[in-house]
Amino acid sequence: MSGVDGATPGAPAAAGVNPLGPQGAETSVALLEARLGWGRHAPTGGTVRFTLNGREIEARADETILQAAERHGVSIPHLCYTEGMRPDGNCRACMVEIDGERVLAASCARRPTPGMVVHTGSERALHSQRMVLELLVNDAPQPPSLETELGYWAAQLGVRAGRFPMRSQPVPDLSHPGIQVHLESCIQCTRCVRACREVQVNDVIGYANRGSSAKIVFDFDDPMGESTCVGCGECVQACPTGALLPSLSLLAG
Amino acid sequence: MSTGKRKRGGAFARAGLRPAPKGRAIDAAALATVQALLGDRPRRPDLLIEYLHLLQDHNGHLPVAQLNALAFELRLTPAEVYEVATFYHHFDVVKEGDVAPPPITVRVCDSISCHLAGSDELLDSLRDALGPGIRVIPAPCVGRCDGAPVAVVGRNPIERAGTASITDAVRRHHVEPVIPEYPDYAAYRANGGYALLAECVSGARSVEDVIAQVEASGLRGLGGAGFPVHRKWQFVRSAPAPRCVAINADEGEPGTFKDRFCLESDPHRVLEGALLASWVIGASALVIYLRDEYAAVRAILEREIAALTEDPPCPLPPIQLRRGAGAYICGEETALIESTEGKRGEPRLRPPFPAQAGVFGWPTLVQNIETAYWLRTILQAGPESFRDRGLRGRSGQRYFSVSGRVRRPGVYLAGNGVSARELIELAGGMADGHELYAFLPGGASGGILPASLADEPLDFDILAPYGCFIGSAAVVILSQHDSVKDAAHNLMRFFAHESCGKCTPCRVGTAKSEVLMREETWNLPVLQDLAKVMSDASICGLGQAAPNPFRSVLRFFPQELEP
Repeated sequence: MSGVDGATPGAPAAAGVNPLGPQGAETSVALLEARLGWGRHAPTGGTVRFTLNGREIEARADETILQAAERHGVSIPHLCYTEGMRPDGNCRACMVEIDGERVLAASCARRPTPGMVVHTGSERALHSQRMVLELLVNDAPQPPSLETELGYWAAQLGVRAGRFPMRSQPVPDLSHPGIQVHLESCIQCTRCVRACREVQVNDVIGYANRGSSAKIVFDFDDPMGESTCVGCGECVQACPTGALLPSLSLLAG
Repeated sequence: MSTGKRKRGGAFARAGLRPAPKGRAIDAAALATVQALLGDRPRRPDLLIEYLHLLQDHNGHLPVAQLNALAFELRLTPAEVYEVATFYHHFDVVKEGDVAPPPITVRVCDSISCHLAGSDELLDSLRDALGPGIRVIPAPCVGRCDGAPVAVVGRNPIERAGTASITDAVRRHHVEPVIPEYPDYAAYRANGGYALLAECVSGARSVEDVIAQVEASGLRGLGGAGFPVHRKWQFVRSAPAPRCVAINADEGEPGTFKDRFCLESDPHRVLEGALLASWVIGASALVIYLRDEYAAVRAILEREIAALTEDPPCPLPPIQLRRGAGAYICGEETALIESTEGKRGEPRLRPPFPAQAGVFGWPTLVQNIETAYWLRTILQAGPESFRDRGLRGRSGQRYFSVSGRVRRPGVYLAGNGVSARELIELAGGMADGHELYAFLPGGASGGILPASLADEPLDFDILAPYGCFIGSAAVVILSQHDSVKDAAHNLMRFFAHESCGKCTPCRVGTAKSEVLMREETWNLPVLQDLAKVMSDASICGLGQAAPNPFRSVLRFFPQELEP
């Protein structure tokens, strides 16, 4: 037999190893590391030199393009990513153009490689950044407040609503004594899911359904007040649009 | 709304205290049902979708009390189970107080080939004829475009469906598929099957030699991406063990049915190919991810994998058959990997690529059914037997799924470089009264070309100048009676329906485009802006390819946009 890296082709996995299944915490961590570019997937120490908007800059090996850009004074719109949270790369507001790549890349979830040439303000990158913000602002019930991240970035890029038909909107869920749920303002960025599942490890919030019906849910799509939510407030802290808000009673009290 | 949790009451409530933790309590009867159905199956969260099928098949739907019990059994939270169950269209979650769906569902395919064959009218007439006691719903491509229009009664697909044939199947309760004739394990082995695999595993052939032969054959991934097979093998093989092979049998590109043809006509040829690939990369496990629409294939594979593993020709890696649940996106390789892990079928961001970190983080080779199918031919008859079949300077051959306005729609084997006009000839010529007007070279994703380009060779790469690609080689023929504008709307509706909902450009872009493309007059500047953000900024190929048909209308059929 001609084995590769010690594995024996055609033979089952080693005894005690589940042939196909999560290997407990070990594999979860490995997977997370792979997705984050940590662990064995991480570049080992040092720095990476790459070109950002025509200027050669240095990134730390563990930095994403977005992080390195911000440190060098170049801001890139972003909504589903926030400092301290696993990047998910779903909102696509932070798209940048990388020379030699067919499509744009989410700068929140990409690490620079040596010699990479990145454009954050090219016509193509800006078009996607603005369109993503426009699509999200379009479906907000009213122009988002400048105090929200969505409102801030929309104002920064001069984006306004109105060119597209609006989605059908859900009604607010005011069942929880401490937290108001206004999914009509939700942009499906899943920061609340990661806050609840990965930061607090309460795992009450999920992302259910598919496509344009996809929505944030509590347990089995229950009213928040009847769900297993303990009201820790991590999701409110994480929300970039005000879809999750402290209750007025709390603010008044 | 009641959530079925324990009632608050008495002294606890008056004192403002809860008698029980928040949320639903586990319902004892539901837990007993779930435990009985699961039996001694392992309580692994990656098997969640398999177990949701157990419950759905048992009840005809998924009662929330049982989902709660299943979450408890698998040590998952309610949210984790709910978000997966509601992702897949073949699961019907029913909450307390909601009405469960009727026992029989009729799914009427409304994708492009069936749409051309009158699926809209069929859907309406079936709703009238069957009444409210039967659920009649539209469904995306079921992979039988040569029998359009198709309706599936329960799990029983009925081709060239009419109100009479469907009503009859419902009345007789014919809800299971007919299993086609095929060579079984004994027949395949009697014909020399698995000798090649045994030769390889015994060491009589070297991995390097096999890779070299496949390279010489020019075989490329036939799921649609066309990545050179030997290079993908080398990538995965050089990654650290344990490694995994995931065979993609989630064929769902509208117009494509050649993988079903391979699986139904020679299942062991596919399995042997899959095992050869597993041997090449040194896989510790082989997963076959099969779309739920192919119920007959599932019956075949369950039976034949059991026969194979009971009497193996040589040592085999563990083989697992995974059942999809109605989601086109799971044919995308990283979505397939997520679904194999028991999650929502949402594509992952790359890098890392599956060859670096796939199923459970293992380096994973994702391989299409037809790609696996050709391996035995290439390795036994020699690489030139495959390579030299190409036409017009192209190399290799493949199965083309030909449907639409032709006399004999079906799967046709042809050399790469064949033209659409030649494929139409293979399919018996145009249907009576129809003249070639346009054709889809690669299903919903590959764009639409005019009749004037019907003599162009079809293969990977070479359609790029026209903004099109061959993809899974699903060639759908349109005639002078069809509107390409209408076809483009049908395709965008498909993409909006099948978008996973993860990234903004695809989730919002396909939905908005679909609404805008319903209009008599298209708002071109807005649609073009949407097309650009979808193709530039979507995470995966679904959103990136979704605007292709729209762009084809602009480029090749501007006369259809005139008022």
